[in-house]
Amino acid sequence: MSDLADTAPDTIPQEAIRVLDRIDQDRKRFKVNLTIAFAVLLAGLLSGFMIIRLDFKFMFNWLGFIMTGIGYTLLVSFLAITLACILAVIGALGRLSGNPIANSMATAYVSLIRGTPLLVQVYMWYLALPQVGKALEELGLQGMQYVFTLPAIPAGVLALGVCYGAYMTETVRAGIQSIKIGQTEAAKALGMTRRQTLRRVIFPQALRVIIPPVSNEFIAMIKDSSLVSLMGVWELSYRAIKIGRRYFQSLEMLIMVALIYWVMCIILQSVQERIESHMARGDRRVS
Amino acid sequence: MSQKRPMIRVKNLHKVFGRDLHVLRGIDLEVKTGEVVVILGPSGSGKSTLLRCVNFLEEPTAGSIEVDGITLSAGERGKARDAHILQIRKKAGMCFQSFNLFPHMTAIENIIEGPLTVLGQSRKDAVPYAEELLEWVGLNDKRDEYPSRLSGGQQQRVAIARSLAMKPKVMLFDEPTSALDPELVGEVVDVMERLANEGMTIIAVTHEMHFARDVADRVVIMDDGNWVEEGPPEEIFTNPKHSRSRQFLAHILK
Repeated sequence: MSDLADTAPDTIPQEAIRVLDRIDQDRKRFKVNLTIAFAVLLAGLLSGFMIIRLDFKFMFNWLGFIMTGIGYTLLVSFLAITLACILAVIGALGRLSGNPIANSMATAYVSLIRGTPLLVQVYMWYLALPQVGKALEELGLQGMQYVFTLPAIPAGVLALGVCYGAYMTETVRAGIQSIKIGQTEAAKALGMTRRQTLRRVIFPQALRVIIPPVSNEFIAMIKDSSLVSLMGVWELSYRAIKIGRRYFQSLEMLIMVALIYWVMCIILQSVQERIESHMARGDRRVS
Repeated sequence: MSQKRPMIRVKNLHKVFGRDLHVLRGIDLEVKTGEVVVILGPSGSGKSTLLRCVNFLEEPTAGSIEVDGITLSAGERGKARDAHILQIRKKAGMCFQSFNLFPHMTAIENIIEGPLTVLGQSRKDAVPYAEELLEWVGLNDKRDEYPSRLSGGQQQRVAIARSLAMKPKVMLFDEPTSALDPELVGEVVDVMERLANEGMTIIAVTHEMHFARDVADRVVIMDDGNWVEEGPPEEIFTNPKHSRSRQFLAHILK
């Protein structure tokens, strides 16, 4: 296509140029209209805020206090997604394993965790686990109650990490299986072991496939991390809810915290796009 | 040539897929060191499966395979068998119809991958030889390109270089030109021909008639999982003994 345009631009007939111009115009008009539509939406939202007489001053005063909660939100999310990634890789290898023990354990893990609400799991780690420790202690295992009684943040990280690890196990498994059989055969034909094949050939390619869904999970986790507020961790939403209740201005606080989450997710999304375009370097045909 | 010891010896090879798809029905094949053998036959006759059994990409159901002194029988199990398979694969390079280059690696990275990962060489040792090979297949200017930016013929030549980097004793070609546009076939066949002239032992499944007629020492004809006949190319192409060979050759030589 581009070759034709390069070598013989003067042979394009007038009427074709008119059609091309119109296509360009349509494209430009769509962009302009889209921008206008977004501006109208934003204006509508802002005037909606005015109509319900949102107390902007109150929001501004508490902004700093709420924002300090971002630290906990990000800390919990990063630790939990790291744990989830590790569990997902182990889980996926288990799901694809020919070893009956590994395979059954991974399958049971995914089934159990995906089949129960995250909320129940959070309470399980935080409230129910100490009881297990107590039972073990009574059996004569010293110090178990101490080990099994988790502070809020570790409990939250474990709950989120284990839960997302189960979902991501399936993502990683699908990513590994999406790599064409010819890749495995080429690696085998070179004399690579199964482990070498996975590490050198399959994983690097699967990674590119699973980056978008894993980023999605991470964005979802940023929001689900608000569940640790149930255990009294002073993260974003806990602060907003507390302050909102105290001054009977929950609307302002909730809108503000929602906007903060939104902005965080938009930033993460742009990071995801960067990573994706970096990972796609082997795909690109034109530099 | 006849005094040389066999590089490959396939004995009574059977391959059954599932329970009733009998793809290879007792194949025997010997290939001497330095010999170039082309396997011909209609599609579905088991040529590719035979080739893929030699380096155990397909598990033989019965029979035995010997490559450069390493013998493995079908049905063996255990650690020793796995080690033998890896040894055989190091000795037998393979080129595929669909090239199967690693898309996340550049041409040079593809070529040094085997030496680094399988042979444990250092990058410093592997790169010069890889560059030599790239030059040998005529692609030194594509050293740092990713496969997606190479033509099919170029990809196949990199794939050949990748196999050669392992310094194999024998090369297996599984329809190396079938996925190529007609004008790109020549460059790949040319590389295969030079490889043959340098004394490489080759088994090739190919419909490339120039290679079968002018480069091969021996042509084997297969049909429906059976060995039909074999002989020097001039004999097979001018005077096939078996009626099934005649039918098949009449079809492809038209």
